[in-house]
Amino acid sequence: MINQLRKIYSSLLVYSEGHDNLDSTYKWFVTGENEIIGIDEEELTSKDVSLLATFLLPYNINLPVPTDEERKWRNAIDSAESSAKFEIKNSYRFIYFSIKKNQIDPIVFKDAIHELFAKPVPILWGNGHEGIIIEEQTVYEDSISFEEIKDILMSDLYVKINFYIGSYKESLEDIAQYYHLLINAAKKVFIYTNKTVVTYIDAVPYLLINQIEPGLRSDIGKTVLQKYINDEETLKTIETFLQCNLNISETAKVLHMHRNSLQYRLDRFFEKTGIDIRQFHHAMTVYLALLAKK
Amino acid sequence: MADLKLVNIRKVYDKDVVSVKDFSLEIRDKEFLVLVGPSGCGKSTTLRMIAGLEEISGGDLFIGGKRVNDVPPKDRDIAMVFQNYALYPHMDVYNNMAFGLKLRKFKKDEIKKRVDNAAKILGLEDLLTRKPKALSGGQRQRVALGRAIVRDAEVFLMDEPLSNLDAKLRVQMRAEIQKLHRRLQTTTVYVTHDQTEAMTMATRLVVMKDGYIQQVGAPKEVYDEPNNVFVGGFIGSPAMNFLNGRLEENYFVMDDVKILVPEGKMKYLREQGYVGKEIILGVRPEDIHDEPLFLDFSPETKIKASIEVAELMGAEIILYSKVNDQDFVARVDARFSVAAGETVDLAFDLNKAHFFDKESELRIK
Ligand SMILES: Nc1ncnc2c1ncn2[C@@H]1O[C@H](COP(=O)(O)OP(=O)(O)O)[C@@H](O)[C@H]1O
Ligand SMILES: [Mg+2]
Repeated sequence: MINQLRKIYSSLLVYSEGHDNLDSTYKWFVTGENEIIGIDEEELTSKDVSLLATFLLPYNINLPVPTDEERKWRNAIDSAESSAKFEIKNSYRFIYFSIKKNQIDPIVFKDAIHELFAKPVPILWGNGHEGIIIEEQTVYEDSISFEEIKDILMSDLYVKINFYIGSYKESLEDIAQYYHLLINAAKKVFIYTNKTVVTYIDAVPYLLINQIEPGLRSDIGKTVLQKYINDEETLKTIETFLQCNLNISETAKVLHMHRNSLQYRLDRFFEKTGIDIRQFHHAMTVYLALLAKK
Repeated sequence: MADLKLVNIRKVYDKDVVSVKDFSLEIRDKEFLVLVGPSGCGKSTTLRMIAGLEEISGGDLFIGGKRVNDVPPKDRDIAMVFQNYALYPHMDVYNNMAFGLKLRKFKKDEIKKRVDNAAKILGLEDLLTRKPKALSGGQRQRVALGRAIVRDAEVFLMDEPLSNLDAKLRVQMRAEIQKLHRRLQTTTVYVTHDQTEAMTMATRLVVMKDGYIQQVGAPKEVYDEPNNVFVGGFIGSPAMNFLNGRLEENYFVMDDVKILVPEGKMKYLREQGYVGKEIILGVRPEDIHDEPLFLDFSPETKIKASIEVAELMGAEIILYSKVNDQDFVARVDARFSVAAGETVDLAFDLNKAHFFDKESELRIK
């Protein structure tokens, strides 16, 4: 298809995903294979654009123009010079967000985000679908959680968003490192959990496991879980038990299982593996093994 | 007007977690359809595929007759409410309801028309200038519904919208949502893990487990004729009792306890070759009786039960006991007082009971 289009539009460009800084004198589209293709607007009539939009998804590259505040932060991160640093009044944290590509107009996203906080928060865009929100630590009684923000935006903007929430920082020292580590971590954590809002505290075990070299990782999974490594049903039971803070009643309720059957299943696991999942350090080992398996 | 059709819908997350398997269902126009099942069974995934928030890995989805697999969510003509739904804290009620439309660049007077209409439906007319923190829990929930109503959508999708509310408000909001549905008649797909909520709200419900549909039907149908042990145990509270035993000619036998099986049931059990086989008896707590009249008429389904716990629930007592070392629960009228430690006669209403295959756990019919 792309070759055929190129015969018609000589200016046609193709990028794989993740390409930033797309030329704004071009019209951009996403193909079914997730390639981004662009055609010089000079070469297109409005009829062409409508026609292309019937089988390609138009791709919106308009990022909001950065505010002074946003430029200041960006500069502090990117520049090694200490002159780039500025005074900050409160502690702050970075919150990474990622939206499914092409589900949203960044300007609309910005408008909605601003309404959720007491004053407009700086947003540093990485590209059209991910970036960092900078939130000052304040004590507003009517502030809302990122779990809520995720659900509000899902209803209002029809987008699924992941948030990764960083720790609070009191100064701009090492801000570049903070920024890069946060983005790196954010790109990894969502492999290990299907939660859509994850904090840096939740993420510690994920990041540890992610650091381990793959051979050892798969070895941990195998040696700990032994013959259960492919027993999805038992592993699901154990995972739920861990998520329910080792509480039998709660786990039985969530799994809709009888207490006794649950006890029995855990006892069997103990007999076969020697691991007593009711004890903290055994539970922790199994938890890491489950993560290692993912 | 919108009906939905899901044909062999499947969802595989990256790696090979299959969350929804071969899901086929027609949702009728104006229906209030509830997806219910334990946590992790694939309800939210199914709903998010309908919404377009999650890609469909296999199968076809039709809304109002049109295949929408590749239509972005904002163009599917749906409105959604989720569990952690909150209001914009710094906007008044009017603007909270108007904001979604503003983002979509609706004209001012159209926005006003829709918000005023939603406010009227929900009885929020006098609260339009209030901020969320000056509202009660119930009022906030109504504003949240209002934000969905102003969309004027063909389909409402709701994912556990009441799960974060306290018990009292939850009951109140159930009624509110039903009232709204009667008035607007918008096709609704509602997700909950709470079987009581499903039973009280649904025109039809879909019971799911491990990514598969277990049963589809009107609440009463599913309650009275569960397809399998799972559905029987999931729908109803306290849950259906399951007793393991063997079928003999005319009797269900648990060691030295023999219970008479009515001929109507015996006939098809016999025809399907269950005589002499291990089988599961399913009987609901309310189909176990202690009234003298019932006991007199049921000499052969009567057992002696030593009561371990008796919970008085007002008009009823929930009795916990054992027969042949298997636990069961009975729900009896509180007119006849029973206390823990006593031994009483109880009789099973076998006409209302079910038998399940021991291997497949399917109801024998
Ligand atoms: N984003 C995701 N990535 C991987 N697996 C997921 C994701 N979301 C859900 N799952 C898995 O899919 C299954 C169904 O989940 P879900 O639809 O949320 O269930 P329910 O809403 O019924 O509780 C679960 O096993 C869950 O762990
Ligand atoms: Mg869910």
